[in-house]
Amino acid sequence: MPPSYTRGPRATPGGGPARAARGSGCYHLRVSVFGRLYDLTWRRLRHLGGVTLLGRGVTGRLVTPPFDVREIVRQLEAMGVRSTNLASVIALFTGMVLALQTAYTLAAFGAKLYIGEVVGMSLVRELGPVLTALMVGGRVGSGITAELGSMTVSEQVEAMRSLGADPLRKLVVPRMWALLIGLPLLVVLADVAGIIGGLFISTWELGLTPGFYFSHVLRLLHFGDFLSGIGKSVFFAFAIGLIASYNGLSATGGADGVGKATTDTVVAVSIAVLVLDFFLTKLFLVL
Amino acid sequence: MSDAGAPVVEVRELAKSFGAHTVLESVSMELRRGETVVVLGGSGEGKSVFLKHINGLLRPDHGTVTVLGFAVSGADEDDLVGLRRRVSYIFQHGALFDSLTVGENVAFPMRENTALDDDEIAGRVASLLERVGLSGTESLAPAELSGGMRKRVALARGLALEPEVILYDEPTAGLDPVTGLAITALIGEVTRATAATSLVVTHDIAVAAKLAERIAFLSRGRFVFTGTVAEAAREEGEVGRFVRAGGFHA
Repeated sequence: MPPSYTRGPRATPGGGPARAARGSGCYHLRVSVFGRLYDLTWRRLRHLGGVTLLGRGVTGRLVTPPFDVREIVRQLEAMGVRSTNLASVIALFTGMVLALQTAYTLAAFGAKLYIGEVVGMSLVRELGPVLTALMVGGRVGSGITAELGSMTVSEQVEAMRSLGADPLRKLVVPRMWALLIGLPLLVVLADVAGIIGGLFISTWELGLTPGFYFSHVLRLLHFGDFLSGIGKSVFFAFAIGLIASYNGLSATGGADGVGKATTDTVVAVSIAVLVLDFFLTKLFLVL
Repeated sequence: MSDAGAPVVEVRELAKSFGAHTVLESVSMELRRGETVVVLGGSGEGKSVFLKHINGLLRPDHGTVTVLGFAVSGADEDDLVGLRRRVSYIFQHGALFDSLTVGENVAFPMRENTALDDDEIAGRVASLLERVGLSGTESLAPAELSGGMRKRVALARGLALEPEVILYDEPTAGLDPVTGLAITALIGEVTRATAATSLVVTHDIAVAAKLAERIAFLSRGRFVFTGTVAEAAREEGEVGRFVRAGGFHA
């Protein structure tokens, strides 16, 4: 029998109704899987395109007046100042755990005196910016999406446009500036808190003096290491702001749609921070 | 009252789809200066979609929209800002900014589009709120207002720039009949006082009967009837049934 090129169950020699039905199920499963994959890819590409277009629109407005300084300060207080506890507690305990684990591992080589170098470099170059961006990004990003999303579904964003105002300038730019200023400052705070966490373990558990610990922390650290961490946080802030704002401004379908957009933001921000971190690490190592 | 001048709003063969769903197939309309036209139609017929094309909140797939001599359909967002100062849109649920007080909401268009100082804006806010019967509510938050009060504040905000065209999206939706009548009466007063051209989208026959010089009935993406409410009530078929079911009998 020649092969069948028509869609649907293929007749096979000796195949009864049961086999035909099984064939139909496989076909529909294949169609369903490919359909879902196509749908998912298309949605992700559209999302990426939307975020890119928003980025283009926001970048020009970020550097051209007028600037709503009062709103930027309000957002900085809401996003930055209220995230200080979260950032410092996470960094403090990360520094303590890092010191404990490092001491345990280095002890096998008789090198636990180098704990300061390991804690300092790990925190300043990598863990400080990434963990702060993940935690603060989740908290602040979901907040931005929820706020802009509820404004979008209740037609407040359209009302703003209809009243002759620019929603990107009024809503997105102040939040972006707050993130671009706030996140690097939080990273500095996290670096300090993490190093202090390492100090606690070094003095209590390992019996090192604070002076000895700090001298080792600073021995290998250069200004460029701080700059690399701070530089990463600026890119993270930009990505967090864009993803969160795009998801908020494109929310549809009432409270349910805002909830989904908020969840999407937390996932997308986490992935974006980790992917960006890899490429930025490569870039900063080359520079 | 209408005059015989050039149309203030001119819509030609407007078509709009969302994905595979065609909302407006081919819609045409003209509004003369000072005229009040009510667009009637059932839920989901695309009345609000039609209205949002008038001040460029939506872009047509096909057709043209010209308002006050300005080609809305081909304009970009920056070009539309000037037009939106002259065309006010009153949203179905008010769309007041939650993070601002009533006074700040009414002041918003003046702060964005005029060079008035704080004292002048405060004076005009008080006057606008008095006009809609809400004197002294400047410091209230939108969440503290009833549905009728929200619509009044939205109307005050919409009047802040003294628009030449006012677009009303379902002005009585979600209100009890008494409040709905009060809002309708207020719109009538505003229309008479400002001599603005008004386009009202509603499914409420009482609004149409009170305000409309002319109605247009939207069904399946087209205007299937244009005329007075009384003429509509005498129609056979869908239009007549809709108007009579709303309690209006010729």
